[in-house]
Amino acid sequence: MTTAAAGGRGSGPYYLAIGVIGGLLSGLLGIGGGTVMVPLMVLWLGTAQREAHALSLAAIIPISLVAVLVYGQAGKVDPLAALALTLGAIFGARMGAGLLAKASERPLKFAFGFFLLIAALLLVVEG
Amino acid sequence: MELSPLLIVLVAFGVMSGTLAGLLGVGGGIFMVPFLVLAVGLTQQEAQATSLLVVLPTALVATWSLYRSGVVDLSKALKIGLCGIVGSVAGAALALHLPGQVLKICFAVLLTVVGLKLLRDAKRMPPTGARPPAEPTVPADSVEP
Repeated sequence: MTTAAAGGRGSGPYYLAIGVIGGLLSGLLGIGGGTVMVPLMVLWLGTAQREAHALSLAAIIPISLVAVLVYGQAGKVDPLAALALTLGAIFGARMGAGLLAKASERPLKFAFGFFLLIAALLLVVEG
Repeated sequence: MELSPLLIVLVAFGVMSGTLAGLLGVGGGIFMVPFLVLAVGLTQQEAQATSLLVVLPTALVATWSLYRSGVVDLSKALKIGLCGIVGSVAGAALALHLPGQVLKICFAVLLTVVGLKLLRDAKRMPPTGARPPAEPTVPADSVEP
């Protein structure tokens, strides 16, 4: 793998391309963009794991906002389930982000590697 | 939908999914959709729509927290995200014309390969993670006897 610009100067267009590819696969497969964008940043641009995770989270905001507006209306949302999950998730997101802010590269890489294997499994199981 | 016991399970699952999402930099839909389908009994469409509604506040809260820690470059992330919208709309349109099942299996294979590569890369890194690997090691016991 080439580390195109090592996430430094001149890597802007690569990041934009990653946004398009991440969004494309996300829309195509109905999976979160982060699962695609993080490995692309890490393996293609050589972005540090933590920076890639943080960029991915922030990039998910506009993507999911549009997705909610477009598909949220078409699909039937279970409001009670959404509310209960959100209550837990916003608490968890603070903890997770706190862990991310302090975590070092190696455990993050391990964690994300395992996550991808589980994501692959879930993708097949879910069908 | 039954009230309290299921709600408690949902909140607890939200905590778990939100923590992993914040740590791993993903939305968390990949955990929530199978859970909502298999454990809660929603249809695939209901589960995806519901999960999308949860991903947005999760990403907002995690990003706000990371922003305060000075970890995230918001303008770069916004550019990625705006390009992501274009890709996402194109992907959703394409999905109507492509065999979803085959794509999913291909993608699962790709994720497995990438996941194994990341695990191998992590294994090769020095345990501290901070030090460059090619640092010359000076013997610590070079003191004269």
